[in-house]
Amino acid sequence: MTLIEFVNLLASALLLAGIYAVMSVGMTVIYGVMKIVNLAHAGFMMLGAYLALELFERFRIDPILAALLVFPVMFVVGRVLHWLLVRRLPTSDQPTLASLLLMFGLWLVLQNLGYFIWGNADRSIYTSHTLSLLRFGAVTISTVRLVVFGAAVACMVALHLILNHTWFGRSVRALIQNRYAGQIVGVDDQKTASITFGLGIGFAGLAGALLASLYSFNPDFGRPFLIRAFVIIVLGGLESVSGVAIGAFVLAFVETFGILFVPAGYQLALSYGLLVVVLIFLPGGVAALTAKVRRLA
Amino acid sequence: MSNISESSILLSVQNLEVSYGPVQVLWGVTLSVRKGHVVSIIGSNGAGKSTTLNAILGVRKVGRGQIVFKQEDIVRQPPHERVKRHMTLVPEGRQLWPKMTVEDNLLMGAFPSTLRKDAVPNLSRVYDIFPRLKERRSQLAGTLSGGEQQMCAIGRGLMAEPELLMLDEPSLGLAPKIVDEIFEFVRNISREGVTILMVAQNVNYALRISQYAYLMETGKITLDGPSEKLLADDYVQEAYLGST
Repeated sequence: MTLIEFVNLLASALLLAGIYAVMSVGMTVIYGVMKIVNLAHAGFMMLGAYLALELFERFRIDPILAALLVFPVMFVVGRVLHWLLVRRLPTSDQPTLASLLLMFGLWLVLQNLGYFIWGNADRSIYTSHTLSLLRFGAVTISTVRLVVFGAAVACMVALHLILNHTWFGRSVRALIQNRYAGQIVGVDDQKTASITFGLGIGFAGLAGALLASLYSFNPDFGRPFLIRAFVIIVLGGLESVSGVAIGAFVLAFVETFGILFVPAGYQLALSYGLLVVVLIFLPGGVAALTAKVRRLA
Repeated sequence: MSNISESSILLSVQNLEVSYGPVQVLWGVTLSVRKGHVVSIIGSNGAGKSTTLNAILGVRKVGRGQIVFKQEDIVRQPPHERVKRHMTLVPEGRQLWPKMTVEDNLLMGAFPSTLRKDAVPNLSRVYDIFPRLKERRSQLAGTLSGGEQQMCAIGRGLMAEPELLMLDEPSLGLAPKIVDEIFEFVRNISREGVTILMVAQNVNYALRISQYAYLMETGKITLDGPSEKLLADDYVQEAYLGST
């Protein structure tokens, strides 16, 4: 491999990591606060993709701008679903069977709703920049990928700032680390859970809408991404946003450079393989590894 | 307690019953706390002392009974409404957020919207009481020593300007020297006019710093009276203070 090839691969790994991070962070915050594994995540990504498509086709809204508009819409969808269904689940410090079944059921409903409204044909968002490339010296980057990356990073930074510098963010971190202590100081955990669920669904929709600019999609969209989100969350540790960013980069790096060694069709096998390896050797994720290194140092 | 006028009673609990699933743990607990007093609940492990405090704050669901705080029945109010009315709990085992800074831990004590505007002055008040927390303000709470964690937990409980501060086993798991220090803090906080309801297995200490005490056994109050009387009581001496 030449240096130029390496830098090109590194650049595309980085761009992929941005979108992977946005895709996984919604699941992480929901799991952290509510201990619910959002199996319907892929369904909300699909919904986000079609919403972006509708905004683009009906109103000629730029797909990236459309993705940012999808966020508040899906936020509201999330809060409504929380009020209708999710708040009725028993609260627990462990994922419950009831929550898994509810989210799985929700996924099936969303998927079929997708088939009902949009049919089963593959769709895609095609604009004048879809195929345009930017050259930085020897490095070639797809314009759309770069813009998607920028939007993804901006959203991650915004979430990070909210979590670390607002009362709401502090209450989210408090519930993630110790729910009982949160209740004691007067955090209304149902309200925080509702907003968090909205945020998580909002991020799922955003990720779907951003991915819609890169890949074609149908109502089954999101399934392979759901598996990747699992890998990233396990890698990053289940409860931290910066962990998600690290996990996203590791997976994107492995997948991108994996192309050199295994055929592209086996990419998902690579993700799954990574999941198995991590669960066996590093069940606490990257955070546990750094803690271990710090102890040894 | 019949000679005490109604208005000097800050908290009154009547016939409180609490169950964990099918297992009933509180069987009609009745107690009251006078404004400005330190009141302790003593008793052995599993007697229902912590459950009583959790039920008073509302984090444990009450089956039956009445909780009157500042002349208002609060038994149906969620915990955050009770914190807004200046009732706080320093829970057993501290229950800090280990990966949040000391300062963020403290600030969370003023979380309800009506308390936030005074969070900054209250923070400096807490730092005045516990200068060691000020030194460690940007450290993660999980890296504090046991005694410092207890100070942080008490500090968090003071952030909501409590009229009633409930302390659950403030000395558990701490070295004897630190225990002295913590009880000295409790005494100072009480002198500033904060009413304290305290649960402690350290019966000797609890009875020495409180004015009134309740003995709790298997979910019931079995004895109550001025603390010095309980301290002199033969049964309490034998069963809880280890004298023969």
